[in-house]
Amino acid sequence: MKFKSKRPHFEYLRKKWTQDHKNQTESLFDKHLRHVALTSLGGLMLLTTSPGVTLKSDHLLTNDSLKISGRENKNLLLVAVLKDKIPDEVRVLTSDEEKIIADELTKEVGIKVTPEIEGKRLNRTYGFIGGEQHLYRYPGDSLYAHAKTAKDWAMYGSSGIAPGLGAWGYFAPSKEEFSTLDEQRERYYLAVQTFLSPGYVENLKEYRDFFKFRKMLVVNPETGQAVVAVIGDAGPATWTGKHLGGSPEVMHELGLSTGPRKGAVLYFFIDDPEDRVPLGPVILGEAGA
Amino acid sequence: MKKYFYTHLVEIESVFIELEKLELSEIEKKQLAHLIDSNLHHHILDAILSQLSMEDKKLFMDHLTKGDEKRIWQFLNAKTENIEEKIKKASEDIKEKLHKDIKEAKRVKA
Repeated sequence: MKFKSKRPHFEYLRKKWTQDHKNQTESLFDKHLRHVALTSLGGLMLLTTSPGVTLKSDHLLTNDSLKISGRENKNLLLVAVLKDKIPDEVRVLTSDEEKIIADELTKEVGIKVTPEIEGKRLNRTYGFIGGEQHLYRYPGDSLYAHAKTAKDWAMYGSSGIAPGLGAWGYFAPSKEEFSTLDEQRERYYLAVQTFLSPGYVENLKEYRDFFKFRKMLVVNPETGQAVVAVIGDAGPATWTGKHLGGSPEVMHELGLSTGPRKGAVLYFFIDDPEDRVPLGPVILGEAGA
Repeated sequence: MKKYFYTHLVEIESVFIELEKLELSEIEKKQLAHLIDSNLHHHILDAILSQLSMEDKKLFMDHLTKGDEKRIWQFLNAKTENIEEKIKKASEDIKEKLHKDIKEAKRVKA
């Protein structure tokens, strides 16, 4: 009996590209690297393996896998530190609770965080985050243009792109003027309830300017995963039951990109007047963290 | 795949658009994505290494390991000519091949 694949398109591509990968690896080695003394494992690390090939030292073959396993161990310390400081129910924290948690995060993460800057604050610092879609970054942008690599497409493409613009419009006026910073801001953006901020309605322009791309530290207290992101949109609506939203990449770095794509997080402003804190995941133990 | 020093020269969005039409599962997407990134990386490395002497190949691989993009580009611009064009050509070649493979895959019957 001849068995036929239920996923013939996928199987065809997987086999073809796995064979191509094997051929290319061998060719690369034979043509260029056989006679080159590679003095570090790093040289081998550049020849990544495919998912169909299993090597005993497979986990050593990429920088990413080493970083992730190290990050998980150290970030778990954050869970232990926060455990007795966060209430059992997801509610607005008291000023004392905010201060204790902010001080603890500042100490453990190595980034100065605070619930209030310049007399301005959000309505809360502990709440439910939900997944947001990608945002249009410049006129003519598309969902697939957001993917820097095929891995990006596979991980984040399914989130889709919002039909309208973010609260502050495009991140850049044109594709030509679109910078790495703009790209990072959309990649790691948050939607927060600016409209519920005390004093917002009375001082609209001042508050809008304050919140635009304001850096925040978001922490998943269940896992210790943390990410530095910017405020890139306003929302979600109060009836959703969520208190803020995260871009697909933010949700991934918080460990909330699968399943219901929702979870309780802490979120504080980052006091960074010299703009030194980079956007993206926070890995405890690395420089600045 | 992490972002490499040449990532800004590569555009393969059209490949993603075609793959979306295959209605792949999340796991299938991730597996194929890994293969695409890896094959693209090898193809580009081949294009670069083909321009370098034996000694310079070693130096380039050391720079690549350290991941200092500025140093990598300084090195390549000093040792080669029109390297950006060669990288773009390599990525276009692989993109064309990926499209051909996807077209063939669509013809495969269950």
